[in-house]
Formats: sequence, C-alpha cells, structure tokens
Amino acid sequence: MSPKKRWTYLPLLLVVLALVAAGCRAAEQEMQPPEDQEQEPAGDDDAQGAQTDVGVTEEPCPNAVNEDNGCIYLGIISDLTVGPFAPLAGPITEAQAAFWRRVNEVGGIAGYDIDATTYVRDNEFNAEVHNRVFQEIRGEVLALAQTLGSSPTLAILDDMRDDSIVGAPASWNSAWEFEDVILESGANYCFESMNGVDWATEQVGTDISLLHIHFPDDYGNDAAAGSEIAAQAHGIEYSAQETPPGRDQQAGAIEAVVSQSPDVLFITTGPQEMVEIVGRAAARGWQGLVLGSGPTWNPALLGTDAAPALEAMYHQVGPWGTWGTDTAGHQAMRDALGDVSEINDGYTAGWVWSYPMRAALEAAAENGDLTREGLLQAVSALTEVDYEGMLPNEAGNYADEPEQGAFRQSIIAGVDTESETGVSTIEDFFTGPTAEEHALDGPCYELG
Amino acid sequence: MNRPRSAGRGRPLLYTSYAQDIAMFNTPGKRWGVAALFALALLAPFAFNDDVVLILALALVAAIGAIGLNLVTGYAGQVSLGHAFFLGIGTYAGAVLGGDPEATRALAFGLPMVVWIPGAGLVAALAGLIVGPLATRLRGLYLAIVTLGLVFLGGHLFKEARFITGGIGAGRRGAALDFFGYRFDQAGPLLGLDLTRAQKQYVLALVLLSIFAVLGRNLARSGVGRAFSAIRDRDIAAEVIGVGLTKYKVLAFTISSFYAGVAGAVFYSIAGVVEPTAFNLLLSVQYIAMILIGGVATISGSIMGAIFIMTLARVTQEIAHYIPYISTQAIGGGLINVFQLEAILYGLLIIGFLIFEPRGLFGIWFRTRNYWKGWPFSY
Repeated sequence: MSPKKRWTYLPLLLVVLALVAAGCRAAEQEMQPPEDQEQEPAGDDDAQGAQTDVGVTEEPCPNAVNEDNGCIYLGIISDLTVGPFAPLAGPITEAQAAFWRRVNEVGGIAGYDIDATTYVRDNEFNAEVHNRVFQEIRGEVLALAQTLGSSPTLAILDDMRDDSIVGAPASWNSAWEFEDVILESGANYCFESMNGVDWATEQVGTDISLLHIHFPDDYGNDAAAGSEIAAQAHGIEYSAQETPPGRDQQAGAIEAVVSQSPDVLFITTGPQEMVEIVGRAAARGWQGLVLGSGPTWNPALLGTDAAPALEAMYHQVGPWGTWGTDTAGHQAMRDALGDVSEINDGYTAGWVWSYPMRAALEAAAENGDLTREGLLQAVSALTEVDYEGMLPNEAGNYADEPEQGAFRQSIIAGVDTESETGVSTIEDFFTGPTAEEHALDGPCYELG
Repeated sequence: MNRPRSAGRGRPLLYTSYAQDIAMFNTPGKRWGVAALFALALLAPFAFNDDVVLILALALVAAIGAIGLNLVTGYAGQVSLGHAFFLGIGTYAGAVLGGDPEATRALAFGLPMVVWIPGAGLVAALAGLIVGPLATRLRGLYLAIVTLGLVFLGGHLFKEARFITGGIGAGRRGAALDFFGYRFDQAGPLLGLDLTRAQKQYVLALVLLSIFAVLGRNLARSGVGRAFSAIRDRDIAAEVIGVGLTKYKVLAFTISSFYAGVAGAVFYSIAGVVEPTAFNLLLSVQYIAMILIGGVATISGSIMGAIFIMTLARVTQEIAHYIPYISTQAIGGGLINVFQLEAILYGLLIIGFLIFEPRGLFGIWFRTRNYWKGWPFSY
C-alpha cells in the first residue's frame, strides 16, 4: 500500500476502533465506572441493607477515600467554559468536590462514599447543551449535586420528574419552591429583588424611579417580577429592560440608563455585563444606587476600570454571608478548600448548596431506601437542614407548602476593597415588608 | 419479479430487460451490500450503549439534512451556506405543529407525527421556494454570501420570535414523537422486543433515513438529477440544450429545504430542547463539512459524512484517554482539553480531506472497492 493511502486509512481505522471500543454494550470496567442499566428492576438489597437502584454501587468510587465503602454517584452540570457564569461555576464545582470529600473523610453516608467528580459536564449556559449532556449522564447518577441555570434546569425538569432524579440547582428561581425534585437553598430571585428594593427605599426614600435591567431568560424575568411587585407596593416609578448576555451587547442597556437616569438601578445579569453597564453609565455621568442580584458579583471586577464606580454605587443583594463570614460552616469551607488562588463567592455557594443533599441522603439511608424514589421521598419529608450556621436551619424546609416553607431573607453587601471577595456584609439577614406579605402561590415569572 | 436469466448463466451483469438495467440495485453486489449494511444498522442499537445509540440516531437524522444539502450543492452545484436557516425553519415549524402544549410555554398545537413531519418539510420548502430565485441571478461565491445572509436573518428572527422559540438561553421543547398513540420518547416494546428510548428513536431515524435516501437516490438518477448535474457542470451549456435553469435551480432549493426541514424537526424532537442560537453559521459549516468529508454528489457519502461528523465529539473523548496531555475535564489538567481537541481535529480533517481525498469518504470506499474487485490484479 502506498504511503499516501496508509496515512488516509490509518486515522480512519483508529476512529472506527475507538468508537467500537467506546460504545460496546458490555461495559468496559476500566474506562467507565460500573453502571446500573435503567431497565433493571428497582430494589436490590445489598450488604449495607439499604435498597438501591441507579447510581449506587457496591464497588468503591474511583480514587475512593474509603476503599471498603460502596459509591453513590452524583452528577454536576455547570457552566464551566464559555457562559456568563463560568468564573463563578468553576469554584462552585470545586467547593462541592471539597464538601463531599469532607463527608467521605468522616466515613461517608451509611457505608457509601459520595462521588461528585466523575459525572461533571459543561452546559455552556445553554438549555440545549444542558439537555444533551444531561441525557448522557441520566442513566448513571442517583441525583444531581448541581444543575446550573434557571432556564437550562427548566429544560430538563420534565425528565428529572419522570426519572425521580433530585437535583440541587445552582440558581435561585422562585419556580423551584414548587418542584419536589429541586433542592433549592437561599431566598429566590423574586424575594431577593423585593428585599433589595425595600432596603433601597430605606436608603433613598420612595419618591424615586427604578430601572431593572435583566437577562431575557427565567433568571432575569424572575428577579424583574419581584422588583416590579415591590415597586408597585411602594408606589415607585418602575421600568424594566432586557439585555442579552455578552460584554459587547450592552449598548442598549447603557443607553437606557443614561437616558432614563433612574435613581435606583437593579441589575440581574452576569458579572461582566453588570460591570459594563455600571462602568459605562458612570463614565457618561450617571449616578445613583446600584443593586445587583446574587450572581452579579465577581472579585475580579475590582481590577477593572469601573472599580471606583462600583465602590461608590454597587450593592449586592445576596442569599447568604460572603466567604469571610464567621460561622461554623464558613470555617469548615475555608479549611476544606485551603489556599485558593482567587477567592470568590462561587465557593460559598457550592458549599451551601450541598447541605440539603447531604441531609436528604442521610435521611434516605436511615429509611433504608437509597433508590431515586426513596431519595425523593426523603427530600419531601425534610423540615430542616443543618447548614452549620450559614443559613438558619428552617431554610431547608421542603416538606411544607411554598407559602410557609420558602425562605425569604436576604443579605445586603457593599463593595469593600479590604475584603477577600471584594464585598462585605452591611445588612445581615432580613426580610423586607414586601417579601413578608407576598403570598407565594405560584412562581413569580409565570410560564406562558 | 423475473429472475434474470443471465444470473443463471453466471453472468450477472448481462441485462436482458430495461427494467433490470435501471433498477436501483441492479447488481448482486449492490443487493447483498445494501442488505448487509441494513442488517448491521439494525443490529447497532443492541451492540452499543444508550448514549452512543442516541448519538447514532441523531447522526442518521442529520444525514437526511446532509442529503438535502448534497442535492443542492453537490448535484446541482448551487453553493448554499444557508442550510442552517432551513433547518431552523423546519425545526420551529415542526415544534409548533407537533409540540406538546403542556410541555412547553411556547406556541404548540400537539398535532400527530404524520402531520408535523411533512408539515415541517413543507414550510421549509416554501422558504426554499422563496430563496430559490436568488440562485438564478447569482453563482458561486456570490450565491454563497447571499445564502450566508439568510443564516443571520434567521438568527435574528429566531431570537425575536419568543412566542415560537422561547428566546435565547431558555429555548423550547421540540415536537412530540407520537405515532398514532405509540410513543417514541419512552422505553417500551416494539415488534415484540423491549427497547429503551434511545433504541426506539434510532429505529425511527433509520426508517426515515431509508425513505429519504431512496427518494434522494432516485431523484439523482432521474431526469431531474441529470438536469441538476448538467447545471452544475456547465449551466450555460445546459440552458442551450434546453434545461430550464430557473425551474431546476428553484426545484433544487425547494427539495433541499424540504429535506432540511424534516431533518431539523426530527433532530430536535429526539434531542429534546432547541435553543435559537443553535442555527448559526457553525451549523451550516458542519453540514458543508458532512458533505465534503462524506463525498459531494453522492447519497451514501452524505450518510457517511453525517455519521462521521456527529460521532466525532464522542470519538475524540475516547481517543483522549489514549493520548497524553489531553485532559478530559473541562477545567484544569492537561495541555488542552477534549473540547479544544475536537475543534482542532475538526479543522484538520476538513483540510486533510480536501487536499488528500477530495471525493471524501465515498472516494475512499470507491478506491477500496475497486482494489478488491480487481484483486489480485489491482494496481
């Protein structure tokens, strides 16, 4: 065979062999962890005594901490590469890996180690990609330790309900209060906006105008719905404007700020978009109070040109205390993560979101039912979760109706150049009057 | 039908009737080859894991779109970079007609599969009919640029029409795979066998591809196909001998868009969720890559190219285990990660095929087959 033909056929052969080797239905033990097929009847009683079905194995995890334990596989679908929350999502994922490593180091749960590193996938903050990678791991994991994004999670919600796959969301959407399969933590965007607006009226009065700039998806619309409710309650002049993701796409938003010149600007976007809007509007002479939803801050923003504007005007309405807060949970997180090169509150978020999952797994193990159904039932019975001080225990109430069980408290943080994360708390947990009175009988951003 | 008398004499290529000559599978080689290929295709879902079967199902559906593109670009010679636009039109037409109103907040009518599959094709074909006359005034690079403009037009349209598409970031669900009550999106029995969801969808994709591939092959062998080839080779000469340019160019765009519409609608029914930014230039380029790598102006080449491109991502992931310095994680570790490796390989493959094997995978198959046909007297 001539050399030219050899080089044409060789890569082709490699490709075909790789695909065949990869996909063969008799599972390769050395490349993939042991899997349970979806069709297997639920309920194999094992040596540890608990019933299991998908995502739980007797074999130890790859790189297991306790070699004698079995393995519970949790999936993570996060914005790891190109989306607007990539700088936060990496730390979220790392913090969760550290959390479960800490759990494994004290013996795991009911004779199982928890693995949250094997099934980690990137969603590019895109609902379609999120769905695609979810289908890849759908048959392999017991539950999702993280599913990032309101809209991406909504895209897989039907499938999660069908398969009884519980998931901890990396988002704070008001729709989660109404979903049994979602293990949300912290006040949702709707209440967060209400609390933010209430706090703003305490600072600058109610004879003001408010402009809310937000992403066009479920995240942005949920927050805008909350701020609109609060604005109506106080009689504040209100308008909202959508803006797409992307630092170079903010011209419309900046123009709106400069032309409308609101007294209070509420922003619900990613950090890059927020700094672009605030920085450019300030450069064109606008001044006012800026409130940002939880996901709008990243410590790296203090290194940009807009840092003085942020320092003067920006306040973050957040779900819990920042990295440096003094609670048992925060300290445990700092110890587990050790020396991180760039501290940011992605770590805090990932750590807090893992507590309800741990509580649910422990409850399910106590019931002797570590199947997906069993975990779902354990979640639905949880009335409190031990957050080690990062949130009040009653924040983890999934058993009660959303009207009673939803957590409505937020924290206000201001820019603080001395702090490790660039912000520090100026108002600790509080519930504003609007959030207090609001009857949560449906998601704030109604579908359709 | 009539058993060819020539076969009995051991001379299978002696045609004794016109019907025999123009039959699609007119040699025993073709008959046995296609039968074996189809049998292999039917066995594939039982040999691979569900996630690979899903990828193959999506690849087979993409092949329908690739055949469409090959009809307009490969056979008729009309360069079209706007294939993503027609895929998008078809996807949203299918999703609106066939989507489950309870499962999505966007517009959906819940019509059955026998309505939304042809419906999606027809709506896309209508778009192709409107775009087709452009081709009569423009050729080559200019037509490519204009069809490129279609992609951006479509992108803006899909972003703005939120009541149909769900908006960027959020997206919407595709059409429901419901065939007279039989659901292709849930595991269940089919012809006595218990199949998983991915296997059922694979079977559906295979059946649809077979239908469209046969239709495409027959089109290429017919008078219309010959007219297409004449236009591709020398359109002025074709006009001189009586091939109506406008008619056949518009027909090429219309038929190609029909294929694209059906492919898009079924693709996103199987994939589940569709987001408006999916129908970008990159998608058009992906389909161009499918037909270039597979083999222009061949139906089997389109299928091979589609399977190759769609499985590329998965294959790079598996290869990454064997090559050092490649990290399988999205963050950290290794010199480059699998996603970057895939992007690099993608570009290298297109360049490689264009330089070394312009006829694509079909060309490789062609040379292999001729080598073995003439063996031991190959040269």
